[in-house]
Amino acid sequence: MNTGIQGSGSSGECKGGFLMKPSIWKWSTRTVVTIGIGAALYGATSWIGIPIAPDTQLRPAIALLAIFGALFGPVVGFIAGFIGHVINDFIQSGTVWWGWALGSGITAAFMGLIYLSKDFNPKDGVIKKKHLISFIIYGVVGIFVSLAFSGLFDIYAMGEPNNKIVIQVISAGLVNLAVFLILGVPAVWAYAKRNRNNANLTVER
Amino acid sequence: MSKSSSLYVDGDSFFHRMDGAVKLVLLLVWTAVTFLFLDLRIFVVLLVAGISMLLVARIPIKRMKFLFWMLTLFTLMNSIFILLITPRFGSTLTGSNTPLIPLGYDTINVETLFYVLTLSLKYLTLCPITLLFIFTTHPSRFAASLNKLGVPYKMAYAVSIAFRYIPDLSQEFRHILNAMQMRGLGISRGDGNLKQRMRNLSLVVVPLLQSSLQHIESVSDAMDLRGFGTKPKRTWYMGTRAMRSDKIVVLLCVLLLTVGIVLKLQVVQGFWYPL
Amino acid sequence: MQPVISFRDFSFRYKSQSSATLKNINLDIVRGEKIWIAGPSGSGKSTLAHCINGLIPFSYGGEITGELYVNGKDSSSQDIFERSKSVGTILQNPDAQFVGQTVGEDVAFQMENEATPQAEMKTAVFSALDLVGMLDYEGQGPHDLSGGQKQSVSLAGVLSTKADILLFDEPLANLDPASGVKAMRLIEEIHQAGGKTVIIIEHRVEDVLQEPIDRIVVMNEGEIAAIGTPDDLLAGGTLASFGLRQPIYLDAMAYAGLSLQGLSNLRTPEGILGTLDKGKLEVWMDSVESPQEQRDGDVLLELRDVTYAYDAGRDVVRQVSLSIGAGETIALLGGNGAGKSTLSGIITGLFKPRIGEVRLWGESINNWSIRRRGTEIGYVMQNPNHMITQHMIWDEVGLGLTARGFSPTEREERSDEVLKICGLYPYRNWPVSALSFGQKKRLSIASILALSPKLMILDEPTAGQDYRHYTEFMDFIAELSNQGMAFLFITHDMHLALEYADRAVVMAEGGVIAADTVANVLSNSEVTSKARLRETSLARFARAWGLSSPSRFVQAFIDYEQKGKTSHE
Repeated sequence: MNTGIQGSGSSGECKGGFLMKPSIWKWSTRTVVTIGIGAALYGATSWIGIPIAPDTQLRPAIALLAIFGALFGPVVGFIAGFIGHVINDFIQSGTVWWGWALGSGITAAFMGLIYLSKDFNPKDGVIKKKHLISFIIYGVVGIFVSLAFSGLFDIYAMGEPNNKIVIQVISAGLVNLAVFLILGVPAVWAYAKRNRNNANLTVER
Repeated sequence: MSKSSSLYVDGDSFFHRMDGAVKLVLLLVWTAVTFLFLDLRIFVVLLVAGISMLLVARIPIKRMKFLFWMLTLFTLMNSIFILLITPRFGSTLTGSNTPLIPLGYDTINVETLFYVLTLSLKYLTLCPITLLFIFTTHPSRFAASLNKLGVPYKMAYAVSIAFRYIPDLSQEFRHILNAMQMRGLGISRGDGNLKQRMRNLSLVVVPLLQSSLQHIESVSDAMDLRGFGTKPKRTWYMGTRAMRSDKIVVLLCVLLLTVGIVLKLQVVQGFWYPL
Repeated sequence: MQPVISFRDFSFRYKSQSSATLKNINLDIVRGEKIWIAGPSGSGKSTLAHCINGLIPFSYGGEITGELYVNGKDSSSQDIFERSKSVGTILQNPDAQFVGQTVGEDVAFQMENEATPQAEMKTAVFSALDLVGMLDYEGQGPHDLSGGQKQSVSLAGVLSTKADILLFDEPLANLDPASGVKAMRLIEEIHQAGGKTVIIIEHRVEDVLQEPIDRIVVMNEGEIAAIGTPDDLLAGGTLASFGLRQPIYLDAMAYAGLSLQGLSNLRTPEGILGTLDKGKLEVWMDSVESPQEQRDGDVLLELRDVTYAYDAGRDVVRQVSLSIGAGETIALLGGNGAGKSTLSGIITGLFKPRIGEVRLWGESINNWSIRRRGTEIGYVMQNPNHMITQHMIWDEVGLGLTARGFSPTEREERSDEVLKICGLYPYRNWPVSALSFGQKKRLSIASILALSPKLMILDEPTAGQDYRHYTEFMDFIAELSNQGMAFLFITHDMHLALEYADRAVVMAEGGVIAADTVANVLSNSEVTSKARLRETSLARFARAWGLSSPSRFVQAFIDYEQKGKTSHE
């Protein structure tokens, strides 16, 4: 049996693009693909969820938005979230909930703000407590800002009653918050941990 | 679920031939006009028009049934929700109060019932036009249409990639879930209490993310190797040329929007309540 | 003649690595040549390909020394887009390469990016599709195509660009044997017709060699270890010395004591020129004894007349009956789309059969949940990254045990035990990311083994591994099998079936068309062609040289190798 680290050139972990964080405004091919795959992932996982209350499900999709935001920045997060939501509505609900689709984008954009802190670099395993705290704060703010937006959108565009929307926004917010905290935050943490340098490993007999 | 993420049904109707960009404009204008109003009369007109357009497109009803029921179910739930939480909301729009069904803590009045009917119809109005769009537009024409409407081609292509890879990722997701369940780490009811199932769901995120990142790498390599993004413009194999009928439809859309705005400003401002 | 590709003292080191992946490469490839680059994993062959097509340094940064000329131009002066006009690449994973939503669109992708007018694209797409025989599929999506068809589309996409160097990066990796044969045939036709330079990187030796190759370049540890014609390298046993598998009929000849001297054109079993001592082969064939091993164990799993349909009216699995004895190893063979995965889904409980019964230890388990079946049947996915969820190795193994409610002490005992069995115990406190692909594969086995199932289903257990890793991994599986575990391999790898399975069950179009010893199945051309497999080269060799019984020849080979293995232990 050989010892651990294999230096295969195709392992994909040693790519140029991974070493430096690209600017959020530069649209390379990788950016385009990331948005597309992020949106596809959102669409591919939206059908599943653990029902916790009537008409309310815990869906991993929000967590994936959080991860994509953190790894690739607010712009990628926003567009991937928006496109993913719209496509999913096309396929599953018979009409597009534009307000909520924009809301998905806004959530991801807020969660992606963490990408802008200079020393945050989960791809190289760099994540600190303070990053986690700001990530959670961005996420919580993002979730409620976006829901407030979607709620106002429904009130003004659809003419939904305010009180009902308030209840809807709060309950949806709590559910999304739970998914974010239970699935999203640990996943980003785990991802960074995985990419930490594996120096000084010893073989124990 | 079908193998492809698109719901496109092949056909040769007027709407199948219509330029994708034009159809998108139609969808957006229709949606915007619907947003403007809270008036049952207008919704009835739009709904009848929308359904006739669907009939012209000759999409098999069987294919649309699922989405139609999804939306109906939603509006029904939404209505019940509104009636239970704000049983007298209609009064704030009409100023009158005609009690009808006692709930104990409050009473549903006629105004709210009529409001709920109007609102449901508003949601349903959006359905035929959306169905028309998704069932008659090939998703690869969709990307070309977006580009034509002025969306940068890189963004338009991201949409195309999303459509392309949804089935692949869905299948992978199912596979991973299944393998986890065999290890006793499933997420369905038999797999433990809510906390355990949530934990199990969180486990799936890791491999799913890993494999999406892998996809990103290989797909962007493939696209780079084939010269994606090197020119300021790109052409579309599936792009369609606008015909004269398309231009007429765009004009009609402009007309619809104008009429909508004029109506909103001059004639029907708020909630229409005949009783 | 000026070479189209010329490496001069070329070295490359990835940014994140401390030592060079390519060292002192000197290689000239001339126009119209057909080159096969071979070498074990990590030998640098993919890196070499990336240098040729420009992904290095465009996407993968690092330090280059020496020179590389492509079509006479210094590569450092070209960007990747310019390079793509002279080098067309067909990637390993057809799903990644196929970015368009329809066949036509995908073929046109590069032209779209070059802003070619639509009418011009249509013409070019149709003629390229015609060349690869995919014209009828122009409007289809990738989900309606098989792996081989997707590959053909990728090829058409490259052909439409007029690039005169075609680079194939493991084109056969995801194809069943029949599609592999077809793909190599197609590549050869294109090579002949257009005078293109063709460079192929591939693990599957026999499949590559069935069509002519001008030169083989063997890579090892980042250097070019050998260059020569197929005959040069085959006769000298060079491939084998670098851990590559040479065609197995050459092994058989060696076992029978035949020398390769005086023979030429060794790359196919039918094409060998020269005189062979047939008598010697016959004698050898009769001299190999079958190890009279009989396993009359109880029937572990049984399928009785199982039929399943995703959509009503279209059965994807039809009246399948099969049984697996305790401790038995069975290869479920068949081409892509034969219904193998669906059948495994029926066994694991993902799909409920419309008709028929799945029985475990004689009891119907039709109503068992996936979870409950998991206590007796383990399922290991092809890609270990799809199974591994934990950061640390030890946690990954313990995960399923916790879920199944084992006590902490029991969990510890079992985890340690399976980690020892799988050779991962010394690394138990390592993070998963420090493991190689092969080790991850073992880890995914370990995490299932911990739950002590009686049967393990392995989905394409050896896909994408080179011969050394393949052998290492499969010998490990064989050891588990000796300890009483039953295995069901779902695969289209015939070597795997030949060398490691007790029996083969062959599926085609949803039904079982053969269930017999592996030797009998793989020397029956009727069965193999129906199942999109291929008769093993041993049987083709035996037939071509008029040996008395191809299937006995195959059996002799299996038994001989088996004996070799057991005598080593």
